[in-house]
Amino acid sequence: MTASLRAFVPAALSLLAALVVGALLLAASGSNPIDGYDALVQGAFGTRYDIGETLVRALPLAIVALGVAPALRAGVFTVGAEGQVILGAMAATAVVLALGDGAPSIVLIAAGALAGAIAGGVWALLPALLRARMNVNEILSTLLLNYVAAALLAWALRTWLKTSESVPSPRSDNLPLGAAMPNLLEGTRLHWGIVLVPIGAIALAWWLRTPRALAFDIFDTHRALARRAGVSAGRAIVSTMLVAGAMAGIAGWLKVTSVDGALYSSVAGGLGFTGILVALLGGLRPLGIVLAAILFGALSAGADGLQIDTGTPASLATVLQGLLLLAAALGFEARRRRVGKAVA
Amino acid sequence: MEWTELSFWTLVLAGAVRLATPVVLAALGEAIVERSGTINLGIEGMMLAGAFAGAWGAAQAGWWVGVLLALAVGAGLGVVMAGAVLWGGANQLVVGLALTLLAAGLSTYLFQLWQPSGQDAARVPLAPGVDVPGLSSIPVIGEALFDQSIFTYLAVALVVVVAWGLRRTGAGLAVRATGDDPVRAALRGVAPRRVRTLSLAAGGALAALGGCTLTVGYLGSFTDNVTGGRGYVALAAVIIGRWSPMGAMAGAGVFALFDSLALQAKGGDSPIPIEIFTALPYVMTLLVLVAVARGSAAPRALGRPLES
Repeated sequence: MTASLRAFVPAALSLLAALVVGALLLAASGSNPIDGYDALVQGAFGTRYDIGETLVRALPLAIVALGVAPALRAGVFTVGAEGQVILGAMAATAVVLALGDGAPSIVLIAAGALAGAIAGGVWALLPALLRARMNVNEILSTLLLNYVAAALLAWALRTWLKTSESVPSPRSDNLPLGAAMPNLLEGTRLHWGIVLVPIGAIALAWWLRTPRALAFDIFDTHRALARRAGVSAGRAIVSTMLVAGAMAGIAGWLKVTSVDGALYSSVAGGLGFTGILVALLGGLRPLGIVLAAILFGALSAGADGLQIDTGTPASLATVLQGLLLLAAALGFEARRRRVGKAVA
Repeated sequence: MEWTELSFWTLVLAGAVRLATPVVLAALGEAIVERSGTINLGIEGMMLAGAFAGAWGAAQAGWWVGVLLALAVGAGLGVVMAGAVLWGGANQLVVGLALTLLAAGLSTYLFQLWQPSGQDAARVPLAPGVDVPGLSSIPVIGEALFDQSIFTYLAVALVVVVAWGLRRTGAGLAVRATGDDPVRAALRGVAPRRVRTLSLAAGGALAALGGCTLTVGYLGSFTDNVTGGRGYVALAAVIIGRWSPMGAMAGAGVFALFDSLALQAKGGDSPIPIEIFTALPYVMTLLVLVAVARGSAAPRALGRPLES
């Protein structure tokens, strides 16, 4: 009890420090910090529309985070979600546009989701195989492939996916309305894709109760023991990275079909990267991830409201997200080490 | 311009040296950090912070103030990372990512406060270049070797000094011992925590100097995310270079050569899509990474937390 309390102290202190730094930054921008924080909260939860915005931003973050959690638990530090979101969105766009307006909505939705998941998975397969077969560091291969994915997207939007209309910034044709998940909350952008979050969270919670999850947990630290429990290194790496890639691809599919309505070069916009941070902030557990996603979604939506109200740059949200992650890293990572030592 | 012409290669090589400089500085810092046993995923953020601090400082009081400010900010971020990882017991990869996010957010935020109107309106004084008369007009290699920013010559000098220092000095031995076996190093009277902290401070300062090279050395302005993943390329360069300063310089050179080639090739009318050239430096870095992946020369305790 005292040990867990003591572990809580650095987390609480760093949370406090995060709020103080945020207040200083608000003051630096010339606004009253209390008014600033109030505008931030109002922007996130003030109206029905704001709540919809918070949730619609939390949604893809949660999906990416739930997908990447098994890999991170197994010590496979894949940071390629950004590129996998891009590939998923591209594939979904291509398939939906090929099917066209005539196809029934259910076909467009199913085909888009499938295309997104497969493309995201395929983009993850390359670094997964490089890691499993040739011992190439997955942190670097996935990071480098993110930039290759961005180049692929730029090329697609300049050539075969380019809209025939004349537009100032590159984008694809508008997707058929039937490809979008139906709206969930009228007057907001929130759509039924959000049901994938509880489904994903329950799936992760169920998986965490299987013996395989335990074997994956010790895979990183006790490789020989994991092997005796029937986990081969190659299979652990490839399977977790495929799941992470497919989920990121699904997040890309939802973003392009149900939020943006056409493929833009900004489709990922950091959500893959932030999704991984949400997984870490959520302690790699389903409930924690969902809460962390809502928190990050609220910060992002709230900061936009703050910028409109007070002119304070919305990038304050990014600063606060970074500080929160630092606080979390200090808090439960330290606690886990203490618990680990108590067990050992 | 055709690739068969000599002047094309003169431009490519000169550009490669320019593009390599920020990556070499960051990779040199990362080589020190990793030799001491820590992986610094915050390197991208430290570069970005250095790029911003350098630009701001230069605009206030001249280029060298920008450089000093960048060094201080980078070292400060390194110490923050050391505090969280070595004293706070936090996971170094998570802290690195958090610092990168923090630095990206802070630099964008402060830049918008500094320049509310434009995205790249600020022009800051550039650090001077060095042009050796005569030698700089040698075909092909002249401009690459004898007409560069002072950051380039500083980077080369630092690589030589660090390579010598790691191999020949007591401090270098302490760094290497801490990275290979902190427990035994501690038995021999080395303080692993202090060594890793100082290494992180030095690595942060060098990463920030690399970022500062972009803004104060070449661009004369700051833009959001101006580093564009070069910190991660520096991480790759360290692995490609087998954790040695000279090797890291060579690894950075691989990326920069293809980056420069792509920049020159983009200018001409080529039937090849320009995006291939954009992706090429990253793809080539990955390919070299694959080629050198077998048989690791990594410090033995790299990435492992200290037992406390």
